[in-house]
Amino acid sequence: MTLKLGRHSFADDATLMMAIVNRTPDSFYDKGATWAEDKAFERVEQVVAEGAEIVDIGGIKAAPGVFIDPAEEKDRVVGFVDRVRQSFPGLVISVDTWRAEVGRAVCEAGADVLNDAWGGADPELVDVAAAYGAAIICTHTGGVTPRTRPFRIEYDDVVASAIADTTAYADRALAAGVDRESIVIDPAHDFGKNTFHSLELTRRLDEMVATGWPVLVSLSNKDFVGESLDLPVGERLTGTLAATAISALAGARIYRVHEVVETRQVVDMVNTIAGRRRPQRAIRGLA
Amino acid sequence: MRRIVVVPSTLALLPEYAGIEDPIADLRRAVTDAVAWLPPGPVSILTSDSSPAARRIATALLGDRSDLPQDPDLTGMLVVANGTATRTEKAPGHLDERAAGFDEALRRGLATGDLAALKATDVVLGAELWAPDAAAFVGLAETAGAVSGVQVDYDDAPYGVQYWVVRWTCPS
Repeated sequence: MTLKLGRHSFADDATLMMAIVNRTPDSFYDKGATWAEDKAFERVEQVVAEGAEIVDIGGIKAAPGVFIDPAEEKDRVVGFVDRVRQSFPGLVISVDTWRAEVGRAVCEAGADVLNDAWGGADPELVDVAAAYGAAIICTHTGGVTPRTRPFRIEYDDVVASAIADTTAYADRALAAGVDRESIVIDPAHDFGKNTFHSLELTRRLDEMVATGWPVLVSLSNKDFVGESLDLPVGERLTGTLAATAISALAGARIYRVHEVVETRQVVDMVNTIAGRRRPQRAIRGLA
Repeated sequence: MRRIVVVPSTLALLPEYAGIEDPIADLRRAVTDAVAWLPPGPVSILTSDSSPAARRIATALLGDRSDLPQDPDLTGMLVVANGTATRTEKAPGHLDERAAGFDEALRRGLATGDLAALKATDVVLGAELWAPDAAAFVGLAETAGAVSGVQVDYDDAPYGVQYWVVRWTCPS
């Protein structure tokens, strides 16, 4: 299905790199490296140069921590979205927020996508997306409260739960008036899940793809990779790319990543092997 | 008047081997333009028997205009053949010092419509130089009769394989 992300449209066979840009002092991977606005802007420039189609700007780290109220969250992201919008008109701007109030402000500033990592915790977020013609990412969290860690959560079937919840969210977005081509589902690895759940979602991602909704995966350097290989943050790229390859083979469309270049190569290589993408330039044995 | 076009037998001309970027964009443009210059209607195809791929390429280029059995009455002919594949160390058949001279003789024949020179092509040497199509140039010389106009659209060996795109006008 064609993807319409705010002002931008993509063909139904396009895969997209969504580069993570943190406006936080405490996110797990970069530990505040782009907390200063100019550093965050340099990160945007870098990922654009690396070929990212989307930036995902977040003002609150996912894990528990200092409470950030909506005003503070807006201070962190709205002006920044405006600056990125002015500088990169062709870039898709996504904002990682669960709050409708913040969503409204960033859409006014030029955001194209609302990435609701917390699975519809604020029911009015879909109305904001509909009002501004923005896309929405519908994630599965198992119903947990935003910014909490999973604790002894179990599922009869985690994939069935992810499909049921994300497609119900997608239907809710549709009913609220969001364009069908602007709705994306995300199993949300590690959110409300232990490592076994995230592994099973990776292994069975084709079942989510089979729903027909475009699938986003956010795998980058997460704990399920770290626990699978017993590696700390900073040493998880290879494991991340292995999970990326499996997801690409299953047909994921959007990849939320820290490392754009490496992920793009893996996704393109897998899709080329799968016969969904042609080699970039082939002459060996043909001349 | 007959119109004859010579194009190379590189598999890169086949649509099933297309990549996102075209490694032979200039060549393909020359081939497409020359094929479009052929008279309307069915076109006869001349290839070497030893090169089945050349027929596939002709069919791909001509589509429903391909006329596989040769018909002497047709006013358009497509010859699918090229020079040696041993022009450089990176060439498919590596460098063979004899290749440049072999190709130069073919080039002269094609660029001047010198049928006697083409007829004298050493097909055995051609096979040694990875030019399995060379017999097609002999066939071309035998069928052309006489040449009244020549245009060389492409003459290069970008991957160590000698390609030409040539248009001939023949009075009969």
